[in-house]
Amino acid sequence: MERLDSQSDADTEERTSVDALATLLATDERTVREHLQRLESCELVDVGPDGRVRITVTGEELLALDLDEMIIVDPEATDRW
Amino acid sequence: MSEHDTNGTAEGAHAVQYDPASSRYDVFECPDCDNVVLALGRDDPPMSCHGEPMQRVADCDITVKPPDVRQVLLDAFGLPKAGLDICLCVIGEGPLSANEVAETLGYDRSTVTRYLNKLVDIGLLRRSELNREEGGVVNVYHSVDLERMRRETLIGFYIWAGEAAALIEEANVTKQDYMDENPDRELPDVFWESFPDD
Repeated sequence: MERLDSQSDADTEERTSVDALATLLATDERTVREHLQRLESCELVDVGPDGRVRITVTGEELLALDLDEMIIVDPEATDRW
Repeated sequence: MSEHDTNGTAEGAHAVQYDPASSRYDVFECPDCDNVVLALGRDDPPMSCHGEPMQRVADCDITVKPPDVRQVLLDAFGLPKAGLDICLCVIGEGPLSANEVAETLGYDRSTVTRYLNKLVDIGLLRRSELNREEGGVVNVYHSVDLERMRRETLIGFYIWAGEAAALIEEANVTKQDYMDENPDRELPDVFWESFPDD
């Protein structure tokens, strides 16, 4: 998420590609896609129609908490809208 | 801790007896009064009583049923096995959604949320609210510092154990009072009347 945060922005909706992330992380695209899928299910990442990705506001706020422990995101239970 | 065959208070071959040589924990008592303390992680008496160091209990014949960790967590913290499963499921996994946790463990989604909140109430997890892009908030549950968790669970258990010890002491006093004041009544009636069901 830190790498994605450095390559994208929730406010400006600047996105990056999975390929670019894989290169940055020195891993294969499949691994990155699997990880992004998990983050997307937690609403921490937004995947656009063209497959380009960006961090979400939720993701930025999570990083700001500077947590390195077990994390469970529970979006539905507290939806106030 | 030694295995101890007994017909005493605990059940048969699985009962255990306090073993001062085990070093897992120690029970100290005051030679001059009823003060008894439990100590973990130290060899020396944890405190003095009547100005003298307390003494390690050396002559205890009572046996107890060995505790089961699942039952301890349930009794002391109201935390069923499912709650612990949730913690264990996500350690080292990075962010997971509550849905993924529910699917992995085979629990209902509502069960996962309920136990997450229970873990927060107990103090084993922390909860933060984050904004959603579509509006509203999401709850993020994250573990507390391990050292803090160790302290919280130990103190929490000591509180529970203190409550249990107070009940046992109350039972002893009730029995004594009965013997002194109600020689004509049946002891079981008097005893259980003093511990009404919740």
